[in-house]
Amino acid sequence: MIRLYDTIEPNVIDEELLKLAVEEQGPQEEAGQVAKQEGINFKDVRSLQLDFQNILRIDNLWQFENLRKLQLDNNIIERIDGLDSLVNLVWLDLSFNNIETIEGLDNLINLEDLSLFSNRISKMDAMDTLVKLQVFSIGNNMIDNLLNVIYLRRFPELRSLNLAGNPVCENEDYKLFVTAYLGDLVYLDFRLIDAHTREAGFAKYQYSIYELKHRENQMQNKLEEEKANIAELEKHKAAYVEYLNGSYLFDNLYSDDTEAAKLAYLPGVPELLETYKTKFVSICQNIFDYGLIQQEKRTAEVDLFYECLGEALSDNRDLGLKTINEFEKKHVKMLHDIRNANELQVVDAKMSECAEEISHLFDILMTYEMQLVEQLEESINNFERNIIDMVGTFVENVQGLMAQCRDLENHHHEKLLEISINTLEKIVKSEFDEDLPDDVRALFSDKDTVVNAVGASHDIHLLKIDNREDELITNVSNWCSGIVDKVHTDEHNRNRKRVKEINQYIDHLQNELDNLDFGDLLD
Amino acid sequence: MEVLKEKVEEEEAAEREAEAEQAARKAAAEKEESILDRDDLIDLEQKLSEIEVHIPEVPVIFTKSSIDTSALPESYKTNTAQEKQLLKVADNFAHQYSHLCPDREPLFLHPLNECDVPKFVSTTIRPTLMPYPELYNWDTCADFVSDFLTMVPLPSPIQLPEYLFSPTSVLKYQKGNCFDFSNLLCSMLIGSGYDAYCVSGYASQDICLMDLTREVCPLLRKPEEAASQKEKVVPKRYTIKPPKDLRSKFELAQKAKKEAEIAAQEEKKRKEEENKLLELDKPPPDPMHGLRIHAWVLVLCGKREVPESFFIDPFTAHSYGTTDEHFLGIESIWNHKNYWINMQDCWNGCKDLIFDLGDPVRWEFMLFGTDKPYLTMADQEEEEEAADEDDIEILDKEEDKNFDMPLSWVEQIYISAKDFESRCPQGRKVIQYKQCKLEKWAPYLNGNGLVTRLTIYENADCRKVVEVKEWYENREDFLEMRRVDKTTHLTTEYFKPGHFLALREHTYKTMAPETDRSMEFYYDTRVDGLEKRTETPNSMTEYYKDRADYLVYRHVDYGIRLKKFSLNSPDTNPRPMLKITERFDRNLSKLADDDVAERIFVVSDERIQLRYHCRDDYITTSKREFLKRNDVDNKGNKIIMTPDMCVTYEVEPREHTKKLLFQYEMMMNLKNEEKISKHQVWESELEVLEILKTREEEEDTHNLTVSIYDTTRNEKSKGQREALERQAQEEHMRQVEAELDYLAPFLVQLPPGEKLTRWQALRLKDECLNDFKQRLIDKANLIQTRFEKETQELQKKQQWYQENQVTMTLEDEESYLTYCSQAMFRIRILEQRLNRHKELAPQKYLALEEKLYKDPRLIEYLKVFV
Repeated sequence: MIRLYDTIEPNVIDEELLKLAVEEQGPQEEAGQVAKQEGINFKDVRSLQLDFQNILRIDNLWQFENLRKLQLDNNIIERIDGLDSLVNLVWLDLSFNNIETIEGLDNLINLEDLSLFSNRISKMDAMDTLVKLQVFSIGNNMIDNLLNVIYLRRFPELRSLNLAGNPVCENEDYKLFVTAYLGDLVYLDFRLIDAHTREAGFAKYQYSIYELKHRENQMQNKLEEEKANIAELEKHKAAYVEYLNGSYLFDNLYSDDTEAAKLAYLPGVPELLETYKTKFVSICQNIFDYGLIQQEKRTAEVDLFYECLGEALSDNRDLGLKTINEFEKKHVKMLHDIRNANELQVVDAKMSECAEEISHLFDILMTYEMQLVEQLEESINNFERNIIDMVGTFVENVQGLMAQCRDLENHHHEKLLEISINTLEKIVKSEFDEDLPDDVRALFSDKDTVVNAVGASHDIHLLKIDNREDELITNVSNWCSGIVDKVHTDEHNRNRKRVKEINQYIDHLQNELDNLDFGDLLD
Repeated sequence: MEVLKEKVEEEEAAEREAEAEQAARKAAAEKEESILDRDDLIDLEQKLSEIEVHIPEVPVIFTKSSIDTSALPESYKTNTAQEKQLLKVADNFAHQYSHLCPDREPLFLHPLNECDVPKFVSTTIRPTLMPYPELYNWDTCADFVSDFLTMVPLPSPIQLPEYLFSPTSVLKYQKGNCFDFSNLLCSMLIGSGYDAYCVSGYASQDICLMDLTREVCPLLRKPEEAASQKEKVVPKRYTIKPPKDLRSKFELAQKAKKEAEIAAQEEKKRKEEENKLLELDKPPPDPMHGLRIHAWVLVLCGKREVPESFFIDPFTAHSYGTTDEHFLGIESIWNHKNYWINMQDCWNGCKDLIFDLGDPVRWEFMLFGTDKPYLTMADQEEEEEAADEDDIEILDKEEDKNFDMPLSWVEQIYISAKDFESRCPQGRKVIQYKQCKLEKWAPYLNGNGLVTRLTIYENADCRKVVEVKEWYENREDFLEMRRVDKTTHLTTEYFKPGHFLALREHTYKTMAPETDRSMEFYYDTRVDGLEKRTETPNSMTEYYKDRADYLVYRHVDYGIRLKKFSLNSPDTNPRPMLKITERFDRNLSKLADDDVAERIFVVSDERIQLRYHCRDDYITTSKREFLKRNDVDNKGNKIIMTPDMCVTYEVEPREHTKKLLFQYEMMMNLKNEEKISKHQVWESELEVLEILKTREEEEDTHNLTVSIYDTTRNEKSKGQREALERQAQEEHMRQVEAELDYLAPFLVQLPPGEKLTRWQALRLKDECLNDFKQRLIDKANLIQTRFEKETQELQKKQQWYQENQVTMTLEDEESYLTYCSQAMFRIRILEQRLNRHKELAPQKYLALEEKLYKDPRLIEYLKVFV
C-alpha cells in the first residue's frame, strides 16, 4: 500500500475535530438538543470514532479518560502512541494504517478486542499486559515466523484470532500449528475450528506441546515458591525480626571480617567459633520467636480496637439513620400540608415551624456527632497508651536479648585474644609448629598487630549487632507512631466528613423549603 | 215441682251469670295479657331458653348377648387341660391371697369370655405385631386403639367386670370397656417388642369415664418455646463509654418505684383472676373417689429404648408418668406370661410404687417358672420369703416351677386395611375437650376431603363459637387447612406445595375482588418470586424475594373509580392508580449512590421520587425527584429538560450527575419503567381475579386425588385392572372353546343358521366318530410304516456291514456301531409308541363318544336315542 504523502495533507487530531466527532456520535434527537445546550465533556465520552480522517499521529486524546471504544481505522498512523491515559479502553481498532511494530499498549490492561488488520507488522510482541484480550485481529500483515504464534499463549481469554493474509499462512501446517498451540482458541480467521482440525493439530504437535507445557508449569511453580517465600519474609518483616531465625546475623557478622577469617586458622579457634555460633544463634532464635509473639499480640490489639471502633461507628450511624428517618416522615407530611394550605398565614406559620424542625434536627445530629467524638477520643487515647506500652516492652526485651549477644561477643573476644596472645608467645618462642598461611603468620609479627586485628574484628561485630538492634527499634517505633497517627487522622477525617454531610443535608432541606416558598409565591 | 223448677231456673241463671262473669273476666284477662304480651314473651323466651331438655343418652351397652358366638373357633368355647390346670393354680393362688390379705379386694384372675368360659387373663393377651409401620411405636399404637374403639363404661364403676372378651371380638365390634381397651393395646405393644403390662387398679373419675372436658385439646397445645439465653456481652477494652446520664438519680428512682408498685398490683390482680379460673376448672368432689375401677397399660423401661416406665391410658392414648395423680392405686398387673399382685401400700396413689417385678416383697408373682425381670434379690432372701409362706404354697410353687403359661386361646389379631384406614367406628369420632370440640373422619369419607374439625368455643359452656379449624386431606387443590375466625369473620386457607398457582396461604373475608385479603405464595416456585400480596379496597402491596432485579416490595394506591356510563365492569374500567411505590434490595455490584432503594411514581402528580441506598459510612441518602411536566415555553417551543425539573440531593456531589443530559436520560428511563410497573400491577390484578375464580371453581367441585398406589380407590387403575382380568378370562374361554370344538369341521358342512334335525345330528355324530376312528388308525399306520422303514434300513446296513466287514477301517466300524445303537433305540421307541397307541385308542374313542352324547348341540337329539 503506497500513500502519496505529497498529494494528501495529513490531518492532526485537534479540538475541533474531536468536538465535531463527539457531537456527531453523541446523543441524538431530544437528548442531543439537551447535550448541545450544555456541551459535552470529553471525560464522559464512552466511544469515539475517528476513521477516514487521514490522521498521521495519535494525539490529544488524554482527556478521554473513560473511553471504552476507540476506532482509528483507515488512517495513515505509523506509530502507536498517545494512548497511555485511556486505561479503560476495551475495544481498540487500528486497522488499515501504516503501523510497523506493536508498541505503546502497555497501559491498556482492560483491552479485550484489538484489531491491527492490514498494517505492516512483522512480529507479535510487546503486549504482555493485555491479559484480558479476547479477540485479536492481525491479518494482512507481514508476520512470517510461525513460532511467533506461541507468543499468544499468554492470553488465557483469547478465543478469536485472525492471521489471514500474512506470509506465515502460506505454510501448509499453519492451521494445525495454530490450533495445536492455542488450545482454547475457538475461531481462527473468523471460522469455527472444527474438532477434526484440532485433533490433527494435537496429534502432530503433541510432544513439543507437552514439553512446552512442562516448562511453563515449572516456571509457574518456581514463581509460586518465590511468592510464598516473599510472603513469609513479609510476615517476619512485619514482626521486625526478619533473618533472625537461623545463623543469618551471625554469618553477617563475619561476612566482611577478614581478620576473623585469618584468626580462624589458629588452633582452638574453630571450636570456639562453633560454640559461640550455637549460643548466638539460639539467642537470635529467641528474639525471633519473641518478635513473632509480640507481633501477634499487637495485631490482636489493633484488631480489637478497630472492632470496637466499628461497633461504635455503626451504633452512631444507626442512631443517625433512625433520627433522619423519623424526621423525614414528619417533614414530608409537613411539606404536603404547606403545599395544600391556601391561607397565607397558615403557610407562614407552617414554614416557620418547618424551619424550626430543621434546625432542631441539625442540633440533634451535631450532638450525636460531638458525643461520638468525645467517646472516641477517650478510646483512642487509651489505645495509644496501650500500644506504646506494648512497643516499649518489646523494645526493652529485645534490648536485653541483644545485650546477651554482646556479652557473648565480648566473651568470645576475650577468649580469642587469649588464644592469639598464646599463639603469639609460642611463635615468638618458636614453639608453634603448625602450618599457617603466610598472611596469617604476618599478623603475628608483634603483639600490637595481633591485638589490633582481634580488636578490629570485635568492633565490626559489635557494630553489626548495634546496627541490627537500631534497625529493629526504629522500625517498630515508626510503626507505632504511624498507626497512632493514622488512627488520629482517620478519626479527624471522619469527623470532618460527617459534619460536612450534616451541613449539606441541612442546607438541602433549607433550600427545598425556600424553593417551596418561591414556587408558592409564583402560583 | 214448680219450685223445684224455679230453683233449677235460678240455679241456671246463677250459672249463666257466673259464666258471663267468667267470660268477662277472661276477656279482661285476655286484654291484660295482650297488653303485657311483649314483656311476657321476652320473659317466656328467657325462661324457655333456660329450660333445657336433656335427652337421656342411651348408654352404649356391649354385653355378651350382642356377640355372635356361633362362628367362634373351638378354643374360645372350651378349655384345654393346661388351661384347666392353670385355672386351678389361679384359684389356689386367690385362696391363699384372700387368706393372707382378707381386707383386700378380690383379684381379676379369670373372668368369663364371650362364650361363658372362664379364661385366665394372661392367656387373653395375644401378642401380635401389626403389619402397619404406623403401629410400630407405642404412641401411634395407643392413638389407634383409642380411635378405633368406642368406650363403654363398666357395668358397675366400683366392681370388677364379670366378662373379659377376646381382642378379636373387641376389634370386630369396635366397642369395649377399659379392660378390653388395655387388653388389646397390651397385645399390640408386646407384639411390637415393648415390655408392657395390663394394670387393674383405681383411677380418678375423669380417667374412668373418659371425661376430657377439663383437658386442653392436644391440637391447641403450644409447643414450649425454647428459652433463648442471651450471652452476656463482655465489654471489650476499647468499647466506648456511654454518654453521661444527666438526669436526676433520685427522680428516676422514685419513678421506678411507682412503676414497680403498679406492676405488682396488676400482677396480683392477674393472679387472683387466674386462681379463680383454676377454681372453676377443678372437678367437683367425687363421692366414689378412690373406688373407681380402671384398667390401663404400664410400659416398663428397658425394651425398645424406653428410658423410663410410664402409664398409657388406653381411652385417651395419653401417656402419664408413674407418679401421676390421676392413678390412685394398683391391685394387680399381668402380661402374657405371668400375673403379679401389688403388695405395696397405695395410700399415696401410685406415687411411691416401685416397679421392680423381681422383688417378691413388693410384687407377689403367680407363676414361678417364667422369666422375671429385675431379679436383683439374692437367693437367700427369696428363701426366707418363701419360708414365711404356708407350706402348701411352697409345695404349690414347686409344682408350678415347671408350669409355663399356656399359649393364648385368642385367634390372631387382624385389622383389615380398610378398618385401619377408617380408624374410628363408622369412620367418625367426636371428642369434647376443654372449650373445644374435636371431630375426626376417615379420609375419603367426606366428599370434600374433610378429616378433622376443631371447634373452639368462647368459654367452657360451649355456646359461642370463636374459631373453627378444618383439616383436609387428598384435596386436588392442595388445601390443607382452613381456619375461620368467627369473631373477625376472617377465613384463612393453608395450602400444601404443588398448586399450580403456588398459593400457600389465603386470608379473606369474602371472595369478591378488591376487598381485604392477603395471599402468601411459595415464592421459590414462582417465576416472579412473589412471596405475599395483601389487598385492601384501595391499595395492593406485594412482597418479593430473590429476584434478579432486587425488587422486594411494591405498593399501589388506588383512587376512586371514575364513573363511566358505558360498560361498568372491572375489565373495562380499572381503578386509577395514584401512586406506585417500589423498593429494592442493595445490589452490591453498584455503588450505593447509583443503587435505587425506593422508587415512587406519583401518577396523579406526574412526579417520580427516587431514594438511593445509604453508603456504609453516611447517615443521609441521596435523593432525586423528577417533575415530568411537558410544558411549552413562551415562544411555543417544547421544553425538553430544565434544571428545575429535577431536584437532587447527593451525599457527595459528583460531576456527571449534574449534567442535564444525564438527568434527561434517567427521566426517559424512568418513564419507561413506570409504564412497565403499571403493566405489572395490571397483571397482578388480573392474577388475583384468576386466582379467585379458580379457587371458587375448586371449592365447588372439591375433587379428591387418589394415589396411584391406592388400588381400591384409583378408578382408572381399577378399570384398567378389571379390563385386563376380563381380557385374560376371555382369552382363556376362547382357548377352551377352540380346544373343545371337535364338531366344528362337520358343522361347517351343514347349511348355516338352520336347526339341526335329528337325522342330521345322528349323522354328525357318526361322521365325527368315524373320522376320529380313521385318525386313530392313520396314526397307528404311520407309526407302523415308520417302524418298518427303520427296521429295513437297519437290516440293509447290517447286510452292508457283513459284506464289507473285511475291508473296513476302524472308524467306519465305529460309526456303524453307533448308527446301530441309535437305530435300535429309535425302533424300540416306535415300538413302545405303537403299543401305547393301541392301548389308548379305544379309550379315546369311547371318551369322544361320551363327549358327543353330552355335547349341548347334539344332546337333545341323541338323548332319546340313548
